[in-house]
Amino acid sequence: MSEFINENPDILDETLLPSRKEDITNELFGDALGKITHERKRQLLQIGSVDSPVLKNIGLLDKLLNQQLSLDETVPDLTDIETATESDENTEEEEEEDPIDAQEIYDLIAHISDPEHPLTLGQLAVVNLADIEVHDTNGKDKMAEVIVRITPTITHCSLATLIGLGIRVRLERSLSPRFRITILLKKGTHQSENQVNKQLNDKERVAAACENDQLLGVVSKMLSTCK
Amino acid sequence: MAGLKLLKSLALHDDKCWSVDVNNGGIMATGSTDRKIKLVDIRSFQIIEELDDTAHKKTVRSVAWRPHSNILAAGSFDSTVSIWGKDDDGYNDENDLETELLAIIEGHENEIKCVAWSHDGELLATCSRDKSVWIWEADEMGEEFECISVLQEHSQDVKHVIWHQSLPLLASSSYDDTVRIWKDCDDDWECCAVLNGHEGTVWSSDFEKSNSNVRLCSGSDDGTVRIWCLEDDNGEYEQEWIQESILPKAHTRAVYSVNWSPKGYIASTGSDGRLVIYKESEDGWIVECIHELTHGVYETNMVKWVEYGSKDVILLITAGDDGHVNVWKFDEN
Repeated sequence: MSEFINENPDILDETLLPSRKEDITNELFGDALGKITHERKRQLLQIGSVDSPVLKNIGLLDKLLNQQLSLDETVPDLTDIETATESDENTEEEEEEDPIDAQEIYDLIAHISDPEHPLTLGQLAVVNLADIEVHDTNGKDKMAEVIVRITPTITHCSLATLIGLGIRVRLERSLSPRFRITILLKKGTHQSENQVNKQLNDKERVAAACENDQLLGVVSKMLSTCK
Repeated sequence: MAGLKLLKSLALHDDKCWSVDVNNGGIMATGSTDRKIKLVDIRSFQIIEELDDTAHKKTVRSVAWRPHSNILAAGSFDSTVSIWGKDDDGYNDENDLETELLAIIEGHENEIKCVAWSHDGELLATCSRDKSVWIWEADEMGEEFECISVLQEHSQDVKHVIWHQSLPLLASSSYDDTVRIWKDCDDDWECCAVLNGHEGTVWSSDFEKSNSNVRLCSGSDDGTVRIWCLEDDNGEYEQEWIQESILPKAHTRAVYSVNWSPKGYIASTGSDGRLVIYKESEDGWIVECIHELTHGVYETNMVKWVEYGSKDVILLITAGDDGHVNVWKFDEN
């Protein structure tokens, strides 16, 4: 990018980004949690072999929990969350998927890089937890809906469409096909709000954009900080 | 109570299936994001052929059989149209021959959204994100195509084109929220009406299969299906069309496809995965039946009545984002 469109955006510190720090287990067990998991792991070591997938999961969970226990000095690393979820699915395929909530959607998209700043959409407050809606009450074999309202850093930001596309691609790749995804610019945040909204939610245009190698390259770069 | 029964679900594609068409020989063609075109016998549900998938470099968005022939047109996001057929030299049994690429039509600037043949098979209409509709004159073999008109009055992407079954009329639906009606005026195609009313992209439209009325139904991103009626055609360039009705609301999301049956039923489907059948009664249009989750939790891109086979059996086919084509039996009673 030869020139920044918005050179001085407001930046949130990573530690201020919303995460699941309010988790009830965390509150209940506090520092004791580390000891408990350690004890469970020790017991499992006695029953199972070292290569047991269950054991590996415990290890990952420990890592995850430890990050939360250290009073959220950093946002939990997404890679770890994903790896943990994936291994969960591998070992317990019969289990139903966890219900998706706004925080989970936020975690999926907050680490997407801004196309012109070396910062994430979460840090720039382009995506905000309060602006994510999830409607998923009909069960696992029914359709569900996710609505994400984004706040471009400036009202004439020409990259708003690209950011929206990045979010859509990220969610389409991560969520079950039962989710209908709507990406909107937050009311009053952009000059050509309706045009951008229409384009971002046109299935055919999005499908065609995803076959454009150049565009896909830019989007992949934006998403590379997610994993 | 009328109802729909799933006869067969065909897992044909690895990605979204966008379009499906059946010719009068009972051969179904399908197009998909996986860039493949498949031919399936609608009687046995067996795949007959997979066409050469190197012909298109991107999504095959739309497929259409030339009436009363084995010639197929396919429009792609790679901005070209491919024409397919059997090069019959008169000696071989037609069924033994492979379908070959007869022609590639170039002209549009970017993604082709829809292709449609006129009822006599002489003209092919194509439309694109480049905001234009092109009308091509085809030779009998389907090898030579001459562009006879470029229609450029839509202000945005043209999503869909469809011809009237007997009159020289073409309807085009657009991202600009309108439908335009085009008429043959001394070998030049002119826009004779603009249908305003939808509050979102118009994804598709279809003419009534009637010789007494000239009506059109249209399905939109606004979730509605509307009926338009030709009020006055004074023989001049302009036609007067009015919005006759909005069908009872039965969709919760965008309506991607509408199709009017020869018997007068309208079918619609879309993002909510519903397949809805409407019937015209003395008190206006009513919803005859709704089938939920026609392609599971996926979106349904297209619905089409099948005119092939016994007159007593009414079939519908749907194409979904799950890559499947589903064949439905519609029971009127």
